[in-house]
Amino acid sequence: MIEVKDLVKKYGNHLAVDHLSFTVEKGQILGFLGPNGAGKSTTMNMLTGYISATEGNVIIDGHDIFDEPEEAKKSIGYLPEIPPLYPDMTVREYLKFVADIKNVKKNEQEKMIEDIMKLIQIKDVSERLIKHLSKGYKQRVGLAQAIMGYPEVIILDEPTVGLDPKQIIEIRDLIKTLSKKHTVILSSHILSEISAVCDIVMIINKGKLVVTDTPENLSNHMEGANGLFLTVKGNKDTVYDVISSIPKVTKIHYEDSEEANTVSLTVYSKEHEDIREAVFYALSEAKCPIYDMHSTKMSLENIFLELTGKNDKGGLKNASDL
Amino acid sequence: MLAIYKKELKSYFTSMVGYVFISLFLVVIGIYFYVYNLSNGYANFEYVLSSISFLFIVLIPILTMRLMAEEKRQKTDQLLFTSPLSEEKIIIGKYLAVLTVFVIAMVITLIYPIILTKYGTVDLKLAYAGILGFTMLGGAYLSIGLFISTLTENQVVAAVVCFIVVLLTYLMTGIAGMLPSDNCSAWIIFSVLFFIVCLVTYFMMHNITLSIGLGIIGECALAVVYFVKPSFFDGSVVKFFKWFSVIDRYDNFSLGILDLTSIIYYITLIILFLVLTVQAIKKRRWS
Repeated sequence: MIEVKDLVKKYGNHLAVDHLSFTVEKGQILGFLGPNGAGKSTTMNMLTGYISATEGNVIIDGHDIFDEPEEAKKSIGYLPEIPPLYPDMTVREYLKFVADIKNVKKNEQEKMIEDIMKLIQIKDVSERLIKHLSKGYKQRVGLAQAIMGYPEVIILDEPTVGLDPKQIIEIRDLIKTLSKKHTVILSSHILSEISAVCDIVMIINKGKLVVTDTPENLSNHMEGANGLFLTVKGNKDTVYDVISSIPKVTKIHYEDSEEANTVSLTVYSKEHEDIREAVFYALSEAKCPIYDMHSTKMSLENIFLELTGKNDKGGLKNASDL
Repeated sequence: MLAIYKKELKSYFTSMVGYVFISLFLVVIGIYFYVYNLSNGYANFEYVLSSISFLFIVLIPILTMRLMAEEKRQKTDQLLFTSPLSEEKIIIGKYLAVLTVFVIAMVITLIYPIILTKYGTVDLKLAYAGILGFTMLGGAYLSIGLFISTLTENQVVAAVVCFIVVLLTYLMTGIAGMLPSDNCSAWIIFSVLFFIVCLVTYFMMHNITLSIGLGIIGECALAVVYFVKPSFFDGSVVKFFKWFSVIDRYDNFSLGILDLTSIIYYITLIILFLVLTVQAIKKRRWS
């Protein structure tokens, strides 16, 4: 559906996007993740043909966005970082205008606008001027604009910015619904959003692809993914001795303990090894009661920080390479 | 294209701009009409038009400043340029919208010569030729204004630059008259101008070899012409600068001459600046 080959964008000597390549299949949701200035918006602007690439190709539905822009743009709906709204229009007027420039047939327009307003839940503000809407509603109108004409590919740049938690969940559900018929690319710096919605996550930093994989694989394969958090009553040294005597334990990390006379620590083992039973028996033998025990999966948050914190460790194609 | 046209035209009349422009234009025409035609009894409406051509200095910036600058400021250009519409269609739609506002005002002025026929014989052909010429003059200025609006995202900057450019073309007749007409200074002036052109091409394309090459070839050509056939430069500076005097061309219309060269001149200007506008947009997005 979308094929990106060696995409490069240079601003003077600054490399904003550095040889980015990826493909997205029909019906997939791809999430772009990266710190500010990583090149997410630049990449999206290139995918939609708003700006050109210094090098490389973007092929949307078989059409090169730079060679046949008008054909390729027909299958794209785009919500940029700042929703492109005309403040002096009412919501309905605006959507009518968008339908016009996206060549939606006259006899389908009325119904499509109604359907989309119902879908995005902006029907109650349809006669209001856009400049009087709240940020959340503006964002939704922007989203309605991207969906107009039901394009094959929907590209959303930080779609949930400015929405309240309830709306964020609604928009996420909406994006999932959309992916049944459309291919969706979205960017975000809210990591829980990406892991909740996307099939594939691409983490980019300084214009380079750091890693691309499914959200589950990312957290499974990461170093220290299989941690076990423990709060144990007892002396720090005793607990350390007991736990370090358990085979398969590779690393012990002390945490701040909240209760008196207790020790909190995270124990790491080799991949996929279950050490819960061993820990339980070992500690009970030593008469150190366990107050709390739960496994800690490395959140996407930590992965993100770890990956983008490393300097220029680009070129990894898969999380298992780490 | 029609969608852009409708949206743009509507925005002139949802904001004050359209009404302000038309009313200001008609008020000034009304005053001059009263003084020239009714009070002093001249039967020539075209005199009114040539006396109010100064209005363009103020009115063209008002009409054109927000056309592209505002889109860029609101980021709505992202919607336009990622929609399946070519840049050409967007620009032509916008140009036709602003032209329509101006033409609405001009259509109202069609009544004035008819009013005059009540008081005596009026050469209607002469008056309407004047109105046609005035409309084309305005059309050319609007095209220039649209181009200037594309270059910035600040309406005020667009308005000021547009004001200066229209003012310069207005004063160009006077400036051209003051310039030296001898061959040597003509050579120097053209050399400097060509040097500036090369600088501009360098800043736009960042291609040093092209710019220097262009500069050397151009300057050599000018030097050769000067030494081989100095008479080529006779009065050329004045002619050259007079070419930019957009308002001068209107004089023929007010004299009752339906001058084909003037019509072609205005149409050329309109097309030239529309093409430049499209190129400026493409250039910015492709740099």
